[in-house]
Amino acid sequence: MVKAYGRGLWQGLRVTWRNLTRRSVTAHYPDVEPDLPPRSRGVIALQEENCTSCMLCARECPSWCITIDSHKEVIPAATDGGRDRSQNVLDRFDIDYSICMYCSICIEVCPFDALHWSPEFAYAEGDLKDLTHDMNRLRTWMDTVPPPQALDPGAEQGKELDAYERTRATEEGL
Amino acid sequence: MNGTEVVFVVLSLLAVGSAVLAMTSPQLVHAALWLVVTLGAVAGCFVLMTAEFVAWVQVLVYVGSVVVLVIFALMLTRQSGRTTAEVTGNRWTAAVLGLVAAVGLGATMVAGFAGERIEGRRIGTAASIGEALFTDWVLPFEILSGVLLAALVGAIVLSRSGSDR
Amino acid sequence: MSEALDVLLRCLVVLGAFLTMPLLVGQMEHKAMAHMQARVGPMAAGGFHGWAQLVADGVKFAQKESITPAAADRRVFELAPAVALVPYLVAMVAIPLGPFFGQGVLIGQDLDLGLFFVLAAMSVGVLGTLMGGLGSGNKYSYLGGMRVAAQLMSYELPMVLAAASAAMLAGTLSLVGIADAFEPWWLVVQLPGLVVFFVAGLAELQRPPFDAPLADAELVMGPLTEYGGMRFAMFLLAEYAGIVVLAALTTVLFLGGWAGPWAEQLGWAWTLLKIVGVSFLVIWARVAYPRLREDQVNVLAWKVLVPLALAQVTLTTVVVVW
Repeated sequence: MVKAYGRGLWQGLRVTWRNLTRRSVTAHYPDVEPDLPPRSRGVIALQEENCTSCMLCARECPSWCITIDSHKEVIPAATDGGRDRSQNVLDRFDIDYSICMYCSICIEVCPFDALHWSPEFAYAEGDLKDLTHDMNRLRTWMDTVPPPQALDPGAEQGKELDAYERTRATEEGL
Repeated sequence: MNGTEVVFVVLSLLAVGSAVLAMTSPQLVHAALWLVVTLGAVAGCFVLMTAEFVAWVQVLVYVGSVVVLVIFALMLTRQSGRTTAEVTGNRWTAAVLGLVAAVGLGATMVAGFAGERIEGRRIGTAASIGEALFTDWVLPFEILSGVLLAALVGAIVLSRSGSDR
Repeated sequence: MSEALDVLLRCLVVLGAFLTMPLLVGQMEHKAMAHMQARVGPMAAGGFHGWAQLVADGVKFAQKESITPAAADRRVFELAPAVALVPYLVAMVAIPLGPFFGQGVLIGQDLDLGLFFVLAAMSVGVLGTLMGGLGSGNKYSYLGGMRVAAQLMSYELPMVLAAASAAMLAGTLSLVGIADAFEPWWLVVQLPGLVVFFVAGLAELQRPPFDAPLADAELVMGPLTEYGGMRFAMFLLAEYAGIVVLAALTTVLFLGGWAGPWAEQLGWAWTLLKIVGVSFLVIWARVAYPRLREDQVNVLAWKVLVPLALAQVTLTTVVVVW
């Protein structure tokens, strides 16, 4: 009878005692950097050389947070009678992180691997306008992009790597 | 006039003064709190007269319980916000009656005990009071317990008769 | 040493203990409660695991503005923290610490009626929270004040009865006498009394799980709603000083005070150790249990604790007479 009456009381004490005697799970953030999992999405970095202003990322972004301005530059023909080449040059590539929802669509869609994820997360600002990162700032994030993760055991590598290795093998063979 | 008597006079004046303030204060909560000061001063007087046990029981029961009950009753029965005493035309009659009662009691005390000194000082420790209570004063003690029991039962009956049984 | 100097020294030591021990209990509460909730508590103040958190809190409270609401009863509102705090200081004067290296018992002043003195002082402290509740001019404070009055009145009875049973067993009302007369088999005989006294004491202090008057979710902060700055700090200090007084009383009355090995030299250390232990139990009870509803509080007082306390008094009477 007593046991039936006091069980809740006993359990309360037991649970709290267990918690007291075990190490607490609190992460001591500013003193200890968090242990982020691989492929963490912190901030998007831009590799300008790869970008051709195809506008795929700006068009596919569900939040419309990417703004791109570019102009065509003419590269004169290399040989006489040859065709002039034209190249897109980026004037402006802004990502507004106050709107960005970190869905990763822009990075998946970019055909030229110009956008990459970086695990950096500490870029809070005091002014909303400062949350729009321009081209130069997006370039600086590239320094924090980690190398590509190791493949999971038993996974296939991407088709572009298969093609590369085939080409290398052919070249070596030659 | 030694130190004890000076302190006694001061405490008595404090008790009388705060009692007057308790009676005349328009704010009922203030009146209850002045009552606390009065009862505390009376407890101090008890200590000076070596009746320590009675003094601390006075604080424990009167200040700790009775005044809290008074304030509790105040809170339960007043409309919120209006804690001022109602002043009616009867106050002059009440003042006259109070004065008559005070003069009558004072006259009785003076007539009965003026000029007497208490023989054989008894220190008011718990042991001596317990002894007196259970040997000399047993019958009044038991009758008082009967009276308290009757009051308790009566209070329960009264509070229940209003609501459904 | 002359009489006056001795009295002054004792008063100063008691005042010092009154100002530091609640802070130690408060720091223990921060850390123990945190670890029981799988977190760490204050870590930044003072560098080493936040030991200076309450010092920082004291400085913070001292520099805050104490606002008196316009609708408040000014003098009642402003006096309430003092009325809540001073009785615990007064109560600490009569509580013994134990023998100090053969020099006699460390105590402010040993009173023959020490137990009654301490209980009376604690019952005056009730008025402080009540004044705060009534004088704030705030509906939530008013409701909290009513809950305070009902709760503290209800729990004084079992507390006094349990303390009386301890005094009966020892044959004296002096706290030093009760602690001196302790024998180990009393722990068994007085067990219901210990439980009743501890639970009733928790309710007197309005500590969770009996903090229905201060229930955040229902009453903002009950009688303490309108208080800020130093006045609020005084109420908080009163709560923690109350925990120290309750722990000290439980130790002296039911746990034998300074009983233990080398009691003549280290009695004071044993008492302090037991006070820390009982304070830890108070903190543990806060973390482990949810808040009791107002009607459950009253049911517990009148239907459980009072009969238990009366049974304990009967048992003690039988033991003493036998």
